[in-house]
Amino acid sequence: MTSAGIVISELTVGYGGPPVLDQVGLRVRPGGTTAVLGPSGSGKTTLLRALAGFVRPTGGRIEVDGKVLTSGQTMIAPERRGIGYVRQDGALFPHLDVTGNVLFGLPRAERRRATQVAPLLELVGLSPDLARRRPDQLSGGQQQRVALARALAREPAVVLLDEPFSSLDTALRAATREATLTALAERGATTILVTHDQAEALSFADQVAVMFDGKFVQIGSPADVYGSPATPQVGSFLGDTMLLPGQGAGPIVDCELGTLTLAEPATGDVLVMIRPEQLVLEEPSTALTARVVSVAYHGPDAIVRLSLSNSTSRLVARVPGHRVPQPDDLVGLAVPHAVLAFPSHRRPADGTEGAPTGPDWRNGRVGTASAGSDS
Amino acid sequence: MPAFSNVPVRYDEPLADAPAIAGRRTARTPRLVVIAAVVVAAVLVAPLIVVFGQAMSAGTAEASRLLLRPRTVELLRNTLLLVAITVPVTVLLGCGAAWLVERTSIPYVGIWRGLLLMPLAIPAFVSSYAWTSVLPSVQGLGGAVFITALAYYPFVFLPVAALLRALDQDQLDSARSLGSSGWDTVRRVVLPQLRPAIAGGALLVALHLLAEFGVLQMMRYPTFTTSILQQFAVGFSNAAGSLLAAVLAVLCLGFLAVEILFRGKSRIARLGPGTRRRPVAHRLGAWTVPAILGLAVLVALAVMVPAAIVARWLARAVATQAVDVGPLLAATGSSVGLAVLAGLVTTVAALPGAWLLHRYPSRAAVVLERVTYISSALPGVVIGLALVTLAVQWARPVYQTAALAVAAYSILFLPRAMVSWRSGLAAAPTELIEASRSLGVSGSATFARVVLPLVLPSALTGFVLTFLATVTELTATLLLAPTGTETLATAFWSASDELDYVASAPYAAGMIALSVPLTVLLRRQILDQR
Amino acid sequence: MRRRTFLTGLGALGTATLVGCGSKSEDKYVADPGALQVYSSQHENLTKAWAEAFTKETGIKVQIRKGGDSSMGHQIVAEGAESPADVFLTENSPAMTLVERNQLLAPLEDATRNQVPAHLTPSSKAWTAIAARSTVLVYNPAKLPATDLPKSLMNLAGPDWKDRWGCAPGGADFQAIVAGMLAGQGEQKTKDWLKGLKSNARALQNNIATMKSVNAGEIPCGVIYHYYWYRDQVGTKEGSGNTKLHYFRNRDPGAFVSLSGGAVLAGAKKPAEARKFLQYITSKAGQKVLVDSQSMEYAVGVGVPSAPELPPLATLQAPPVDPFTLNSDQVATLMTDAGIL
Repeated sequence: MTSAGIVISELTVGYGGPPVLDQVGLRVRPGGTTAVLGPSGSGKTTLLRALAGFVRPTGGRIEVDGKVLTSGQTMIAPERRGIGYVRQDGALFPHLDVTGNVLFGLPRAERRRATQVAPLLELVGLSPDLARRRPDQLSGGQQQRVALARALAREPAVVLLDEPFSSLDTALRAATREATLTALAERGATTILVTHDQAEALSFADQVAVMFDGKFVQIGSPADVYGSPATPQVGSFLGDTMLLPGQGAGPIVDCELGTLTLAEPATGDVLVMIRPEQLVLEEPSTALTARVVSVAYHGPDAIVRLSLSNSTSRLVARVPGHRVPQPDDLVGLAVPHAVLAFPSHRRPADGTEGAPTGPDWRNGRVGTASAGSDS
Repeated sequence: MPAFSNVPVRYDEPLADAPAIAGRRTARTPRLVVIAAVVVAAVLVAPLIVVFGQAMSAGTAEASRLLLRPRTVELLRNTLLLVAITVPVTVLLGCGAAWLVERTSIPYVGIWRGLLLMPLAIPAFVSSYAWTSVLPSVQGLGGAVFITALAYYPFVFLPVAALLRALDQDQLDSARSLGSSGWDTVRRVVLPQLRPAIAGGALLVALHLLAEFGVLQMMRYPTFTTSILQQFAVGFSNAAGSLLAAVLAVLCLGFLAVEILFRGKSRIARLGPGTRRRPVAHRLGAWTVPAILGLAVLVALAVMVPAAIVARWLARAVATQAVDVGPLLAATGSSVGLAVLAGLVTTVAALPGAWLLHRYPSRAAVVLERVTYISSALPGVVIGLALVTLAVQWARPVYQTAALAVAAYSILFLPRAMVSWRSGLAAAPTELIEASRSLGVSGSATFARVVLPLVLPSALTGFVLTFLATVTELTATLLLAPTGTETLATAFWSASDELDYVASAPYAAGMIALSVPLTVLLRRQILDQR
Repeated sequence: MRRRTFLTGLGALGTATLVGCGSKSEDKYVADPGALQVYSSQHENLTKAWAEAFTKETGIKVQIRKGGDSSMGHQIVAEGAESPADVFLTENSPAMTLVERNQLLAPLEDATRNQVPAHLTPSSKAWTAIAARSTVLVYNPAKLPATDLPKSLMNLAGPDWKDRWGCAPGGADFQAIVAGMLAGQGEQKTKDWLKGLKSNARALQNNIATMKSVNAGEIPCGVIYHYYWYRDQVGTKEGSGNTKLHYFRNRDPGAFVSLSGGAVLAGAKKPAEARKFLQYITSKAGQKVLVDSQSMEYAVGVGVPSAPELPPLATLQAPPVDPFTLNSDQVATLMTDAGIL
C-alpha cells in the first residue's frame, strides 16, 4: 500500500528495557501539520529520531510519500531520507556563519552561488543582514530561525520540529512560531512538531497526537482531543479539568452539580469531566450555590475558585474578565452544555491505564480540580 | 572553538526521552572505523605481548626472587610516591596558572599564555642537568618532584586554560543566584566541568613519570624504570627487565582505571540556544603584583634557568668555535623529518579509537582506547627492543627504516594525541553530526565538513605534543632509526656522553629552538573560540 | 580561511618531509648496502676516527650505528642471525659476552688476535680487546688526605666508609668491575662487599656524575674509570680540578682493567671486510688512531704506547681475569639480591 504523507505503523523502539515506543501508528497527510503532545519521557523525541533515521527501531515501518524508510532490515541513512530536523537547541554549526549554516545541505555549486540565503532568511522572518553573523552573535530566536531556514533550504518533503520553541521567552516564542508556521505553509512541507506545551500543540497543528508512555492514546483534530478526550488523563493533559463522581443514567448524569446532559450516554459509576470554561457563574438564585474562595484575574478572563456549601469539593471556573466576582461572594452555578463522563474505574489513582507519571501529571493540570474526593 | 570542549554546559541526564548513551549506541558503528581502531590497538599491544612473553620466560622461581624482595617494595614505594606528589603539584600549578591567566585581570595575558606553555619546549633531561649544575642539592625525591612538576605542569595547564576560557558566565551567574558562594561555585560548577581536562592532563603526567628515566637517574631517585634500565645494562637476559616492565604495565592499568573514575561520565558540550557570554575576569586588585610574581617565579624556574644555562654553554661553544654547522643542520633536518611524520601518523592513528569512544561509547571502545596508553608507561628501551624482535621476525623490510622509527614514536606517544582528540571531540557534539546528516550530508562528508573543522585545534595540539616528544626521544631512536641517522637528541647524547657539554650545547639549543615556535602554536588551543 | 591555510601548510610540510626523506634515502635514511655495518657502543669520536682512517686506507666504506653497551648488545641478540651488523664494538666486555653467549660471533683470526697481548684476549677467542680502561679511585684531597686513602677497594665496604664514597652501580662499567671482583675474590666476599656498597655508597648516575660529586666535595672519593678524569684534565678541568686519582694496584679488585671488545658477527654480510676492519683497528696504525683520538683510553696493541699522560698499563698491576669467564649473570643476581638494582 502506498500513500502520500507520513505513514508510521507498529513502530517499536527499545533499548533493552521496556520499549520507549510501543507499536506506534500515525498518519500525517501531505502538507499537514501534526503535533505530538505528551509529557517528558513519553517517547516523543524518540519517535522523531526514528523518523529522521538516528534510531534503529526494533520493529515496525515508516513510509514517507510511499517510500519505505524503515522496515525490517531496511534502514535508509538519515542523509538519504529528505527529512528536515530542527532540534530544541538549533544545533547550528559554530564554525560556520549564518550563510554557511543555511546552505550547508546544498550541493557545492549552490553553496558557492549563495543566492538562496536572502530568500530563505526572509522566509523565516530574519533580515538578510544577518547572513555573515556567526551563531554566537545571534539571539536564541534568531538561531532557531536560522536552524529552520537551514532545514528548509533543501526543500524537504517532511520537517520534524523537536520542541523548537521551548527555550525561547514568551514574546519571541510566539513570533518564532508564527514565522515557522508561515514558512512551512509556504513550502507545503509535511510537518511533525513535538511539544509538551498543549497550547502550542492546539494552535499549531491540524492534527494532535497525544502520547503517553510510548503509545498514542488519542489522535485527532485539536478540537477533538480537547473537547472529546479519549481518557480523563488526555483531557487533563490538554487543559484544566474537574473530575466529579457521578451516576450515569443514559443521556444524563447526576453529580454534585446536579443533573447534567451527557455528550455521549453512560450508565453507572462515572467520572464527570468539566472544564473550567464550561462552568457558568450566575446570580445566586439558582439551585446550586457556591462561595467564591479566590480570584486570579488575567485580563481577558479570570480563574475563580469556588467551594460548594454542602461539600468539600473545590471547583474552578473560568469567567470573562468583565464579570468577575469578589471573594466571599455567593454565586449560582450552571453547566449549560453537554459534558463528558468516563467509567469511574478509569480514575488516575487506579493506575490501570498506566497513567503518565511525569511531573506535569502529578502536580499541575489534574490537581487544579480533582473534585469529589470525599466520598 | 577551543578544542577542549566548547561552552561547557554539563548535562548528565538524558537529552530528552531516550537515554543519551543508549540513543547514540543505536546508530550502527561504522565497520571501517572499528577495523582501524582495532589495528591501531593491536600494533600498540604487540610490543607488550613480547615484553610479557619475555617476562614469563624468567620462570616462577626467578620471578619470585626478583619481585618478592625488599628492593621491589622500595621501588614501588618510590614510584608511587613520586606520582602521588608530582601529579597533585602539576594539577595545582596547572589549574592555578590557568585560572590566573584566563579568569583574572592579570595583565599581559597573551605573553603569559606563551611562557607558561614553554616548558614543553625544554627537554626534562636538559633542565635537570641545568639545575644540578647550578644547585647540586636538587636531587632525591624533592629534586625529582621539583624538576618533573616544572616540566610537566603544561599538560594540565593547556586543557584547563582552554576550558576556563570557554566557560559560560551565565552558568556561573546562575550558580551564584542559586545561593552558592564564590568558592562553592568553583567547587560545584567549575571543577566538575574541569574534571575531564584535569584527568586527561594528570594521566599524561603520570604516564611520563612512570616512563621517566634521565631525570630520575640524575636525581638519584630509583624507580621501576631506572631499575629496569639497570637490569638491562647489567643482566644477560632481558627477562628480569621485562618482568619489572610487566609490573610497570600493571601499575599503569591502575592509573588508567583511576582516571576513568575521576573523569566521571559527564559529557560537556553546549546545549540550548542563546549566546554564550564571555567570562567576567576576576579583579585581582591588590593581588595583581603577587600574582604576577607567582607566575614569574614559575616561568623562571621552569624555563628561564634551564634556558639560560643552555645559552651559557652555547655561548662558550660559539666562543671556542665548537659549533659545527653542517652536522647540526643535518641533525635538525632528520629531527624535523621524523617528528613531522611521527606527529602526523600518531595524530591520525589516535583518531579511530577516540572517535569510537566519542560517538559509539561501549565497553569495547573503552578497552580499545585504554590499551593505547600502556606502552607509553614503559621505558623506551623496553618498547624499542620489543619492536626490534617483532620487526626482525615479522616485518624485516621495515626494520631500521624511518617507517619503523615512526611507528615506535606513535606507540610511545599516542596518548598525547589521544588525550587531545578526546577533549577536542567534545567540541563536536552528536547533535551537530545528526544535524548535518539530516541535511543530506553523508557520514564521511559530515566528518570532513563539521567534525574536522571543529576539532582541528585539538588535532594540532596532538600533532605538536607528539612532535615535541619525538624531537627529544633517544632510546627508541638509537635502536630503530635508520643506520646513519643523526637526530638532535642522539647527537646531544653522543656529545654529552663524551663529557662535552659545550659540544652538546648546539644540539640542546637546536631542540629548544625547534620546539619553541611549535609550543607557541599550542596557544591556539586556548585561544580558538567559536 | 585561516584554518584551511593552516591545514594546507601542514599537509605541504608533511609531504615535503616525506619527499625529502625519499630523495635522501640513497645516502641517509637506510643502511648503505655498499658499506660495512659497524654497530658501536664505543665512544663516537673514537669509532668515527677508526672508520675514517680505515676507509682512507682500504677504500671500504663504513657506516656506523651507535648505541649504548647494553641496549646494543640486546639489540643484536634480538636481531639474531638476521642482524645487519658486520662488526660489533663495545665499551665494556659484558655486552660482547652477551652476544657471544648467543653464538652470534664469528671466530677470530689468529693474525688479528696476535696483534693484542694474550692476557687481553678472552680464552674463547671469539673477540679481541680493542681498548682498555682502568678502575681508579678519584678523591678530593680537601676531604680525604692522601694518607687516609683505602688500601683496597674491598675496604670501602667497611663501616668507617659509610656515606664517604660514590659510584655508578647501575651502569655496564661498574658491572664489569664487580664481575672482576667475583672472579678474583669469590662469591661470599663479593656479596659482603655489595652489601657494604648498598649501605655506604652514594649511587650516582654515571662516572662523570661521580667525578663531579667528588670534585664538588659532596663525597670524599668515588670509583670510576680513569679516562673520564684525564679527558677532563686535558679539557676544562671543570669536573676534576679539585681531585686526584688513586690507583689501587697490587692486583686489587680496584685495579681491575676493563676491556672494550671488537668482534665480527657470525651472520656478517661482508665477512672479509669485517675481518679487515677488526684487524686494522688492532694494528699499530689503528691503535695509533686510538692514542691520537684524545679518548684517553689505553691502547692494547702490541708495542703501541698509550697517551703519555697515562701511567703505562703494565704498571697498574691489574688482577688477572679472563674476560670470557666474567659471570655477568651472577653479578646481576648478586647486585639484585643486594638491593642495588
